[in-house]
Amino acid sequence: MAPNATTQILLSPAELSYLHASLSLSPPIRPDGRSPTQFRPLIAESDILPSPNGSARVCFADGTEAIVGVKAEVHKSDAPVIGLLDPTEAGDDDEEIDEKPTGKGMGEDQWVDMGIEVPGQRDDDPLPLFLAAMLTEALLASGELKDRLWINRRFHWKLYIDVLLLSQPLSYPLPLLSLTTHLALLDAKLPKLVSEGDEDPLFDDDWEASGYLYPLDSTGKRLDNPTITLLVISVGANIIFDPSKEELAVADAVLAVSIGVPTGSKGLQILSMRTIDPPSKLTQPGVPTALNSAAGATNVSEEEIIAARETSTDQGVWNPPRGGLSRKLIPQIMKAVLGPNGVAKEVIDGLNAVTS
Amino acid sequence: MTSLKRTQPTGSDSTNLSSKVYVRTTRAGKVQKIVREVYLRQDIPCSSALCSECSKISTTYARGRAQPPVLAAKPLTSETFSTGHYLVPDTNAVLTGMDLFELESAFKDVIILQTVLEEVKNRSLPLYHRLVALTKNEDKRCYVFFNEFRMETYVVRQTGESINDRNDRAVRRAVQWYKEHLELSVKKKACPAIVMISNDNDCRKKAIAEGLVGLSLSKYVSGLEDADTLLDMVNEGREREDAKTTQENFYPEYYSLSKMTTGVKAGTMHQGTFGVSPFNYLEGTVRVPAFERPLIILGRENSNRAVSGDVAVVEVLPKEQWKTPSSKIVEEETLTKNDNPEAEDGETVISNKERKALQEDVKKAHGTTTEGKPQPTARIVGIIKRNWRQYVGHVDKDSVRTSDKLSRAAQTVFVIPMDKRIPKIRVRTRQAGELLGKRVLITIDSWDRDSRYPVGHFVRSLGELESKGAETEALLLEYDVQYRPFAKSVLDCLPEEGHDWKVPADTSDPGWRDRRDLRDLLVCSIDPPGCVDIDDALHATQLPNGNFAVGVHIADVSNFVKPDTAMDREASMRGTTVYLVDKRIDMLPMLLGTDLCSLKPFVERYAFSVLWELTPEADIVSVDFNKSVIRSRYAFSYEQAQLRIDDASQTDDLTQGMRILLQLSRTLRAKRMAAGALNLASPEVRIETESETSDPIDVKTKQALATNSLVEEFMLLANISVARRVQTAFPQTALLRRHAAPPAANFATLTHQLRVKRGLTLDVSSSKALADSLDTCVSSDSPFFNTLIRILATRCMTAAEYFAAGTLAPAQYRHYGLASEIYTHFTSPIRRYADLAVHRQLAAAIDYAPLAPSLQSRSRLEGVCRNINVRHRNAQFAGRASVEYYVGQALKGRDLIEEGHVMRVFENGVVVFVPRFGIEGLIRLRDMGTPEPVGEFDGEEYVLNVTGSREVRLELFDEVKVRITDEVEESTGKRKVKLGLA
Repeated sequence: MAPNATTQILLSPAELSYLHASLSLSPPIRPDGRSPTQFRPLIAESDILPSPNGSARVCFADGTEAIVGVKAEVHKSDAPVIGLLDPTEAGDDDEEIDEKPTGKGMGEDQWVDMGIEVPGQRDDDPLPLFLAAMLTEALLASGELKDRLWINRRFHWKLYIDVLLLSQPLSYPLPLLSLTTHLALLDAKLPKLVSEGDEDPLFDDDWEASGYLYPLDSTGKRLDNPTITLLVISVGANIIFDPSKEELAVADAVLAVSIGVPTGSKGLQILSMRTIDPPSKLTQPGVPTALNSAAGATNVSEEEIIAARETSTDQGVWNPPRGGLSRKLIPQIMKAVLGPNGVAKEVIDGLNAVTS
Repeated sequence: MTSLKRTQPTGSDSTNLSSKVYVRTTRAGKVQKIVREVYLRQDIPCSSALCSECSKISTTYARGRAQPPVLAAKPLTSETFSTGHYLVPDTNAVLTGMDLFELESAFKDVIILQTVLEEVKNRSLPLYHRLVALTKNEDKRCYVFFNEFRMETYVVRQTGESINDRNDRAVRRAVQWYKEHLELSVKKKACPAIVMISNDNDCRKKAIAEGLVGLSLSKYVSGLEDADTLLDMVNEGREREDAKTTQENFYPEYYSLSKMTTGVKAGTMHQGTFGVSPFNYLEGTVRVPAFERPLIILGRENSNRAVSGDVAVVEVLPKEQWKTPSSKIVEEETLTKNDNPEAEDGETVISNKERKALQEDVKKAHGTTTEGKPQPTARIVGIIKRNWRQYVGHVDKDSVRTSDKLSRAAQTVFVIPMDKRIPKIRVRTRQAGELLGKRVLITIDSWDRDSRYPVGHFVRSLGELESKGAETEALLLEYDVQYRPFAKSVLDCLPEEGHDWKVPADTSDPGWRDRRDLRDLLVCSIDPPGCVDIDDALHATQLPNGNFAVGVHIADVSNFVKPDTAMDREASMRGTTVYLVDKRIDMLPMLLGTDLCSLKPFVERYAFSVLWELTPEADIVSVDFNKSVIRSRYAFSYEQAQLRIDDASQTDDLTQGMRILLQLSRTLRAKRMAAGALNLASPEVRIETESETSDPIDVKTKQALATNSLVEEFMLLANISVARRVQTAFPQTALLRRHAAPPAANFATLTHQLRVKRGLTLDVSSSKALADSLDTCVSSDSPFFNTLIRILATRCMTAAEYFAAGTLAPAQYRHYGLASEIYTHFTSPIRRYADLAVHRQLAAAIDYAPLAPSLQSRSRLEGVCRNINVRHRNAQFAGRASVEYYVGQALKGRDLIEEGHVMRVFENGVVVFVPRFGIEGLIRLRDMGTPEPVGEFDGEEYVLNVTGSREVRLELFDEVKVRITDEVEESTGKRKVKLGLA
């Protein structure tokens, strides 16, 4: 779906054409002079709100800003397991090798609930819903988050992630929201469980005793991170990260790439790649002089103009891209994201530095 | 970008805003992170008389008087602290040494930090209440310093710091601040020392490193006079914590709280109050909401360290372990006589003797009667709430190693509580020799898994066993009766005129507002002889239309006791006046109870009047409630009134009025009986005492005169009328009294006994049916038989209780015993708090005065009801125990043969009731002859066939001749009437 409201493109076909041309160069020349993988500077802080379990705030240099609060509630799991409370089974026998259930594979998708508020939009407008669905999907993709919300066979945490976009969505806000959510989740803590087994959960009343949802290892490093979603565009043969509003307007294809950081040494991993309708599709095409009645061309019918545009290879005239991604770009993206000095590592390290 | 983050204060004076974060789990299972903002201030005074700064900021009372400083300018001095000292105890010191802090002689000028107060509240609510009471005691000079709100003494929890460490640091910080603060106003040399009392070695070390004075509680106490006695008062359980080594555990471990709540919610475990059978200390019961009958807890291991009164969680045992309630008397002292209090090792939870006693019980498990059917048993898996209190007892002399009074060696002794349901308590003391033969007050501190008996500590000695003062005080303590003199704040609420207070002569006085002038009515009061707190007065006249105008006038106590004053709170806490044989513990100060409120004759008094128009058939034509002023014409005793009515020569209007009242009361009573009111009996005796010394000289059963019933009937009528009115006005918050219909199961045993022994049936389907069938329970050979059955039936009933109307459905308002749809207490506001509350509600109902907010909130009213229900019951118990004690004293040295009736048959003894003295007592087989005769018990027929040194057949309900002597009961140290077969 095209996030149309966000992309009021106020550029002429000639400007679009110029932008597209410069971004297609090798190396591309971006309007703000960044390298293709370079992010705009951003300001981030976590633990800004006292009441939620975790919170964060991120400001992009273009003035967009978001706040995320993460709240956790104890909920009863749907299917009560019968016979669990039989006292004879409940663990009087200490000799029995107690296989402590860990909740692996027990998590359910509806345990994470995300709500996004965008100024000027109703909460059932397509944009917030679409963004929420996309972010939730990415967060749940690895399965680790929801398993972590398992308390015992009768109870689980329900995570409410409330995202508040403070500014107008000047550019496509997905990366902003993903980064802020990521940071808030890193900051999120859950009270320490003191009850055992399948009892009604009871928690330590000392907030200091609570543990991170994404725990730290003994050296204070994160064992893993929440999924993060980045926006990548392709222009010609180039891939460009963190596109600005103008760059989005001329993108051939827009991709949302979700990167998971699983526990253990497996390293980063791309969980999903989703194409997004490029906003450039909706731009007004340029008309070649030869066909432009204003420039003296006569007797050219509408059909002829369209037919001519289809075959035109004129670099100077803006022709809205029709979507589609060159197959050979995919490995390039993967390399840029996952490589030793890849974008994902840089972003995650940066965010980890905010919370520690 | 400016950060949105709120920074925590780093220095002490950087900001006045901080916050506290904690996790709260609600009852519904919600888990919340709570953030509380803390606003710090600098105007919290230190409240020392020495400090010149703080007097400027001390809070002022409403009338502009400044609050005087609490801490004395010249605090107590000692050798170590020649300039005097202020004490700052930490939480642990308060928890272990509460009894010490309550001492009159020492522990003055104590600074209770808010940190400590809050921590004590979390750890132990009863101790918290005592601590708060302590701070109100002006002599103790205890000051609550709100250190958590004072900027200089507030400490921020550091990362990785435990809550305890943080609180310890807060205490040290406050001590330091006090020290520095006082040195500003006082020269260093004259400045009193600020002494921190902490049992935590680490904390003390840190304090000393910071240049503060820190002492352990025992170290501080040993510097005081009479240190040995005082050291006994330190809580044992907590001090021993570190000394504990791994020992064998006798009792199973308790389940975790979460496991218990899960189990109770899921219905696999049950929660209820644990009670111990007065006849068998090894058998307890827990009444749980899930079952109609209580679950039985057998033996020590199953009762798992629960003490009678604790709220426990139980688990039902498998069916093969179910058994019948015991039909045998098992007393602790006979089975566990030789236990050694010192020796901890080699102890078993169940001694062989105890085990044998249990086995014999189990044999009985397969019976066929209702009584004999095996009943579900359960075991205790955890304690929700300990209801330990202070217990009165005496030191078991067999457990004392050296009774040398001079020996100051600490030894462990057993204290046997007066209440037989409480196990022996192991107490460590240095004054065992002195305490022998004394009534002592002790508390239980802990009961660990590795100790067979609970561990407690000595609080104080009440005096010699059997001395009147000690026994009376013991009684009051045992039944939790508040007997301390009224505090100054309470007495301040009395009218300034004192005894000279009069009803204002001028009827335009505000006191007369909305009051009816009933001074012309011929009102009189009828009470027991010597009554000084006259609650009620009556009058009656015939109306021209043949009907009668009848009035009940009740002392207008609510005029003097205004809601939410200190006096109101005190009365609400006391709940009721307690009548002992030789003593009365008043609910309200004497001035009100016996003078200003009392409807004394010949003086004008404020009253609350209920005025009816009754037909000659005693049907109510109309009822009217009025605040009034009356003047009683005479205060009769029951006998005087009876004589006056019977004396045909008296024809004055007052006597005529009384005759009308008597006539109407007979009709009322007949109507009530026809409706199914129960005529129940409880043994009541009156002690005749010598007027000078109040030593008992004789025991008489109380006599009922027609005038008793006269007063009673009109009080019932007034109560019912008022109940209706109040309930209509306040359907949610009316304070009413109900008597629930007892479940038929309660009567199962009695019904069976009557059928087997006498072929009588007891119809318990309704109160009317019960009343009728009780009337048929007569025996030609024993006139007392009917009374005996009534006494037994009364014991099957539930207790009447106060409640807020909104908590129950109107169908449940019913008073079973009185056969009334609705009932309350209105007629004795001098001696019962419930009546006072109802007075206020009625005053609001008739638009006399607005209703106090405390009587509008259902939850607060429920709290009041809960308290007065307990107080009411305790007052009754205390009264009975007092009578029992005096009966014992009156029969001291006597040897009588009296008629008795068998009330209950056990395998190894019978319970006999002696109507002459209203006493019941146990006759065991071994009391019947030596060597102990053999008893053959038939549980079906309720017969005990005794053969051997004594041959007798004892049957239930039989009349037996008993020999009454007295003895000092070894187990309780009480002088008790001892019964034997004549």
